[in-house]
Amino acid sequence: MSKEKVTKIVYYPYRIISVFLLIILFFPGLNVARISGLINRSTSLLTAGFSYGNLIANFGRAFKKGWVMESTMHLLNISSLFICLGIMACAIGACLSLGNRKCRFVGNLISTVGAVVSAFSMWGIWSAYFQIAATTKPSKVEPMFQNFYYIMVVLLIVMVILSVLELVFVGRPSKDEKFEMETRFKLFLMFLPFIILAFVFCYLPLYGWRYAFFDYKAGDTLSMDSFVGFKWFAQLVRNKSTTRDIINVMKNTLAMSGLGIATSWMPMAFAIFLSEIKNSRFRRFVQTFTTIPNFISWVLVFAIAFCIFSTDGFISSLMMNLGIWTEGKNFLMSGSHTWLKMLCWGLWKGLGWSAIIYIAGISGIDQQLYEAATVDGAGRFQKMWHVTVPGLMPTFYVLLLMAVAGILSNGMDQYLVFENSSNTSQIMVLDLYVYKMGIVKGAIPLSTVVGMLKSVISVTLLYVANTISKVLRGETIV
Amino acid sequence: MSVSEIAKREAKAEREYMKKHKSAIRQKPSDIVFNVINYFVFAVFTLVCIFPFYYLFINTISDNELVRKGLINFVPRGIHFENYIRLLQVNDLFGSFGVTLARTVLGTLLMVLASAFVGYLVTQQDMWGRSFWYRFLVITMYFNAGIIPWYLNMAMLGLTNKFWAYIIPGIVAPYNIILVKTYIESAIPGELQESASLDGASHLKIFLTIILPLSKPILATIAIFGAVGHWNSFQDSLILMQSAPQLYTLQHRLYIYLNTTSNLAALMSAGSTSGISKSVLDSALNGKVIKYTIAMVTIIPILLVYPFMQRYFEKGIMIGAVKG
Repeated sequence: MSKEKVTKIVYYPYRIISVFLLIILFFPGLNVARISGLINRSTSLLTAGFSYGNLIANFGRAFKKGWVMESTMHLLNISSLFICLGIMACAIGACLSLGNRKCRFVGNLISTVGAVVSAFSMWGIWSAYFQIAATTKPSKVEPMFQNFYYIMVVLLIVMVILSVLELVFVGRPSKDEKFEMETRFKLFLMFLPFIILAFVFCYLPLYGWRYAFFDYKAGDTLSMDSFVGFKWFAQLVRNKSTTRDIINVMKNTLAMSGLGIATSWMPMAFAIFLSEIKNSRFRRFVQTFTTIPNFISWVLVFAIAFCIFSTDGFISSLMMNLGIWTEGKNFLMSGSHTWLKMLCWGLWKGLGWSAIIYIAGISGIDQQLYEAATVDGAGRFQKMWHVTVPGLMPTFYVLLLMAVAGILSNGMDQYLVFENSSNTSQIMVLDLYVYKMGIVKGAIPLSTVVGMLKSVISVTLLYVANTISKVLRGETIV
Repeated sequence: MSVSEIAKREAKAEREYMKKHKSAIRQKPSDIVFNVINYFVFAVFTLVCIFPFYYLFINTISDNELVRKGLINFVPRGIHFENYIRLLQVNDLFGSFGVTLARTVLGTLLMVLASAFVGYLVTQQDMWGRSFWYRFLVITMYFNAGIIPWYLNMAMLGLTNKFWAYIIPGIVAPYNIILVKTYIESAIPGELQESASLDGASHLKIFLTIILPLSKPILATIAIFGAVGHWNSFQDSLILMQSAPQLYTLQHRLYIYLNTTSNLAALMSAGSTSGISKSVLDSALNGKVIKYTIAMVTIIPILLVYPFMQRYFEKGIMIGAVKG
């Protein structure tokens, strides 16, 4: 086998392992530096290396009483730091391995040094552990040894071997060679950080679905002892009170989404009737001021609702000043017509804004169609119905299908801010329910199950909507 | 002269005729009724949209005693601006304002730069695995793991109760990337990039000297929407900052104030406004006014940037209608 070929083959495990090592740095669960129960559970190796303050956050008493020496923690901190730096060097080496001979040579040098430094620093953690294990108060300090330590050592040693191999195989580049890399790899490397960000924040949460299969409480560590299979899924249908909750929540969710869909023609009507207004200044004025509410948050909408509808708000004080009521009423605290009220707030906030896309659509309709209709003797409403509406229909269909696909996702902000003791049973939508269950009450597995089912159904609905659109109109919506 | 040209000319003549005689055609009574109703309905709806803001505002600048009695309904009386000045004494509000401002500026800046850069990169056909990685990004718009796994993930990454939790997850915004990509493909001629690269400019240089200046309109659009989003953010503060009250956003703080019982004494005993001095309590500043004023302070920045935003509305929404 030629040297070239061996180099190429050896680079594959080299790259994979360095990426893997890099990812490990961010996971508190795989933190080999967590050698004491006093170290925060959410500390990753990266934090342990770069933030000494974070590492010793809970050690104040242990230092004072002499259970743990400060030098031990310094050793732990510095070892972690060097492991991190070494692994980062390996990652840089892996990136450079996509380039020409000179790039690869320099990359190999960097990664060899990095891997050796990391591997040696592992010894620092080892000795810090034994110093901590020798404490006089094991019950308080809780010395612990991460079994992952051995895997990490093996990985680092493999990394050292691979780096050295590559260093030998690639060999020294000629003096006048310059750093070069193929354009396609250069572009990819520039893109890479963003791919990693998207992976960490959008794909990695999917890994959290595993909580749906465990008996888990906030702060526990997952172990196979607490594996419960489909227990929480079964609970949705077996446990009477959970089932009742879910049915109620689904009723609210579907009702409010349904009302939203039933009124989805209103922005179109808004746009059509607005375009009938000939005075462009007035039109501009209406358009400007009806879009403002879209840009304030739901908390602010609630603040507005509060100043108009609460006990000492606008309506109450007006009615009292006129002598019609003797005391103020708080409309926000009543549980009647909650669905309609929520729909009205949604329209108040969103109607003007949603109309913009239709207003733009109307200006795109061919004027000759209107002229032809006029010549044919069509009146104002006939023109609206036979020219404008058909012209806007494609946009309407797309938005409608998207609304149907998002039928389970009402968002939670609106309902959270308007929720209170008297309307809670009518306002509890799926998103809010999941939040209340998981974050407020701490029933993580059950709320994960609900959220998981919601995600799966939503994606399926979107797929179906897309297929319908493809069949009926020959166009996809996503 | 071809037939179609004749037809065109006739149509044009007809249009001109109609234009000339439009004013001469008298409006039918039914038209007048329609117009009156139409104007009226829109006027009412517009009023419904702006009156609450006006009402909120006049109640913060009127005499506090009159406000307490509920006598300020349409016109401000006894105008003063002390409420706004006194608000400066509420320490935790000031902190929240700083946090929100910082995340808005920093978060928007990073998001815009990242969107511009990634939007440019995905237009480069010769990237290794371009279409795969582009889809890898875009597909994240259509699914999410749910709020609990998201929270647990942030906790696992150690981002809970940290300021960076506001910034980092928002850097990659797929929708904005699509907007920038579509804009670059449609509005910036490919020849410009080609000639620059023939002159030996690197990708980074092309991005900085050609793409960035030429895509200003779309970048302004996404910057404005991003900034409004950051300013209005509430959910991440609520969920991620549970044990770091000093990092609450303005909206979260306002939410807490609105939900506390209505008099200031209760606010104080709840400990949430420990920064308010005795003198403020002594004055007639009541819970209602403080809530209104805080709401107003939160709204004002939005109203200030709104005139600038308006220019970019339609552009953003129309480009968005074109799929990536």
